[in-house]
Amino acid sequence: MKESSTVPEDVKQRLNWVLIFIIICFSVLVISLWYLQMIKGEELSKRAVENCIRSLVEDAPRGNIYDRYGEMLVTNRPAVIVSIIPAEVDNLKELSKRLSKIIGLSEEVIEQKVKKYTDNPFKPVKILDDCRKDKIIEIEERKSELKGVVLEVQPRRNYLYHELAAHSLGHVGEIDKEELQRLGNPKFQGGDIIGKTGLEKYYDDILRGEKGGKEVEVDALGREIALLLHRKPVPGKDLVLTIDRDLQLYGENLLYGKRGSIIVSNPYNGEILALVNRPSFNPNLFVSGISYPDWERLSSDPDYPLTNRSVQGVYAPGSIFKVVTAIAALEEGVTNRKRKVYCSGTFELADQVFTCWKELGHGSLSFVDGIAHSCNIYFYTIGKELGIEGFSKYMHKFGLGEKVGIDLPAEALGTIPSSEWKQREHKQIWFPGDTINLSIGQGYLLLTPLQIHSIICAVTTEGEIYRLHLVKEIISPDGETIKEITPEVYRKVDISTSTFRTVKEGLRATILKGTGWRANVKELSIAGKTGTAQNPQGETHAWFMGFAPYENPEVCITIFIENGGEGGEIAAPIARAMLEKYFNTQK
Amino acid sequence: MKEKLSKLIENLDYTLLFAVVILCFYGILVLYSSTRIESMGGEPFFYVKRQFLWMILGFLFLTVILFIDYHQIERYSTVIYFGVIVLLAMVIIFGRSTYGARRWLSIGPFDFQPSEFAKIALIIFLADFLSKNKPKLDNFFYYLLPFAYTGLLILLVFMQPDLGTSVVYLAILIIMLFTVGVKIKYLVLTFIAALSSIPVLWLILKEYQKNRLLLFINPNLDPLGGGYNVIQSKIAIGSGGFLGKGLFSGLQSQLKFLPAQHTDFIFSVVGEELGFAGAILLLGLYAIILWRGTRIALEARDLLGTLLATGAVAFLFFHIIVNIGMAMGMLPATGLPLPFLSYGGSFMISNLLAIGILLNVELHKIKW
Ligand SMILES: [Zn+2]
Repeated sequence: MKESSTVPEDVKQRLNWVLIFIIICFSVLVISLWYLQMIKGEELSKRAVENCIRSLVEDAPRGNIYDRYGEMLVTNRPAVIVSIIPAEVDNLKELSKRLSKIIGLSEEVIEQKVKKYTDNPFKPVKILDDCRKDKIIEIEERKSELKGVVLEVQPRRNYLYHELAAHSLGHVGEIDKEELQRLGNPKFQGGDIIGKTGLEKYYDDILRGEKGGKEVEVDALGREIALLLHRKPVPGKDLVLTIDRDLQLYGENLLYGKRGSIIVSNPYNGEILALVNRPSFNPNLFVSGISYPDWERLSSDPDYPLTNRSVQGVYAPGSIFKVVTAIAALEEGVTNRKRKVYCSGTFELADQVFTCWKELGHGSLSFVDGIAHSCNIYFYTIGKELGIEGFSKYMHKFGLGEKVGIDLPAEALGTIPSSEWKQREHKQIWFPGDTINLSIGQGYLLLTPLQIHSIICAVTTEGEIYRLHLVKEIISPDGETIKEITPEVYRKVDISTSTFRTVKEGLRATILKGTGWRANVKELSIAGKTGTAQNPQGETHAWFMGFAPYENPEVCITIFIENGGEGGEIAAPIARAMLEKYFNTQK
Repeated sequence: MKEKLSKLIENLDYTLLFAVVILCFYGILVLYSSTRIESMGGEPFFYVKRQFLWMILGFLFLTVILFIDYHQIERYSTVIYFGVIVLLAMVIIFGRSTYGARRWLSIGPFDFQPSEFAKIALIIFLADFLSKNKPKLDNFFYYLLPFAYTGLLILLVFMQPDLGTSVVYLAILIIMLFTVGVKIKYLVLTFIAALSSIPVLWLILKEYQKNRLLLFINPNLDPLGGGYNVIQSKIAIGSGGFLGKGLFSGLQSQLKFLPAQHTDFIFSVVGEELGFAGAILLLGLYAIILWRGTRIALEARDLLGTLLATGAVAFLFFHIIVNIGMAMGMLPATGLPLPFLSYGGSFMISNLLAIGILLNVELHKIKW
């Protein structure tokens, strides 16, 4: 039945070789499988688990900031980030081209960003931060052509009034290397948003909240499949400021186009109602990482818009400092309220001649009139008798050369000259002429507007400087008070009440009949002192410091206009406007 | 007819048929595990249902083949060959493209890949040609002729472009030439010539094909491209251990870390979910098929039968070795599917046609 095969023997021979080849190949497969699964199995199992577990960080929303009446100043808004998941991209070139047309970033930049992804092709690569709304809509509409492009939403800091109180509020930004090293893991990681300046920095721990996190099982596309672990983020706490938004805004407008500061505070509790610094900047520029042109513009601006003048700027105080001279002289018995000094317009010391600002002289002046008319000769006379040691003692009593303790970072200390200081810094002895200059606030003396402000606070309260502060209350996101900042006497200035009273009389007279007449308003009894400080930078600085009402003080005010001109002419009217605004809204 | 049927039933190679049927169900199970989550439209049986239909269709073709004595095939071999050439040309002109390659022809609702059927056509054509011209093959010109016939097919699929499939044609040709008894000298000469033409080939290869070859050399080069697949596949297979993580429980497979896991990388799913034991079972089933196939070739009635069976074995064997070798990172990711397991209608049918050829040769080793 079976016929013999006609297949040639050599073919059968070759077929046997084929069979042997097949057997060898299969053996290699089996051995490789054994090696991969039985020997390297455990190691590869671990990698399989790592592959699909992702730790995700959930950022806590940063606390809001309100003014003293609950008006919101700073909050968060959602920002849309355009990213690409490298693993989902079919054709990167084509995708870059399409995306480039929508978002306006060049094709090469997009391609480069995606190609630079590091460890995990399923992790979105950020292409564009804070995308504009119209672009987002276009991306959404053309989603099918943009496979691999994802939109993520992140909270972004939003400074509602842009330049308003920008220096006090400060701004946030991504943590930098130096900060990361200093603040350290595990609290912070690269990419975290922290306060960089102002209140954002000072109260960072309170505003920031606590990051949450979760561990999720994901599929190859990075989609969450199961939640393995979840710790909810704790939102940051809100700040209620002592600032009155309207008063602040009013002050900002008064200083528009000028360089300078306005400080308004309650001397009996240290609450700052307005802290104006001009020129200002828009902190919103910083929240997504400031662009190079913006940074270039702000940092090279000759008006230094980024500098918080009231806290970080140091300036010659000029005649404003006569208040300290007056107090020191009274306390030391160098003079008394009855002593009269004759002003001829000049004052001679050895071979040097010092002049009064009024060339023809004031004639014979009492102590109170000496303050009111800001007569240089009067203060030269008593300053000379006081001597540099006397000045040092009282400058120290007022805390000049030290921080005023405001809740803002990077306070400047100023320059407080003394004979040791001059020896140290200039390798020169202290000349009697230096004392003469110091007695009218000129020469080496440099103070911050806040230090000046603390002098007027001490005078107003007759000896107590309350800690100046910007935060009134810390509240929880649902509005419950967590901590109320209680007034605290930061410095007791040990000076007799009668001395303060006499000087205050002089300050009142300054407004009524002296250099501060432009600050006079009938309905308001303002007391204060003007200053016109010469400085090497050019035009004189215009100063005013004062309080109101004279009989029963409620607020202290300091005005500083850098290179603004005459204190009485420039600063006094601004002080009056500010005080009028304050008292009008109080009614 | 009735007599024919009873003879058919009597003489069928049941070991081979049984192995194929088990393999098909094994494939369906693995396919279900790897696609149930991610299926289109959320329908867990989407892929399985389609694959099952193709399988039924494939068995139908297989049965039809059994009724035709393979000696009749030789009459049509030239027609089949040129028919396939026309189809491949049509693919290039009218074909539906996916991922930048045209591989599909649509007939009504069905998409099919002529390049798959071309494998069967090539086996038939070469078996016919070689069995008729065995003595002349000592002549170098005659030896080169089959290269020309195969070369035409290779050229056409290369234009699709499909590197993997053209390599399969070449493998079938070489194994069949070796079997028919051409001079080893010629084969060695051809090999040397091929090696020296690599620089030329390098110029012809498309960028992504070059990358695939380069990635094979170092998969860590680019964890996203082909290299990524290989790394993920190795992790999947390795993490399976001895018994595997169980069907539907593979971390890599179920979470879709494996790309193309229902087609080119389905072996990774086997490795991860069914472990070493499952993989060995699979290799065992393949071994039975190849062993039976070789036996059929050896015991065939004539050279035509031997060569037909050899071609079918070469086809299946090459796919198995290259696919599994690729999944384990031993061979470049050429994108060749795994017989009876990988999802794909045309491939499933061509697999079953190859089995049909084997059964047919076995069935007709005696004259009825
Ligand atoms: Zn005078």
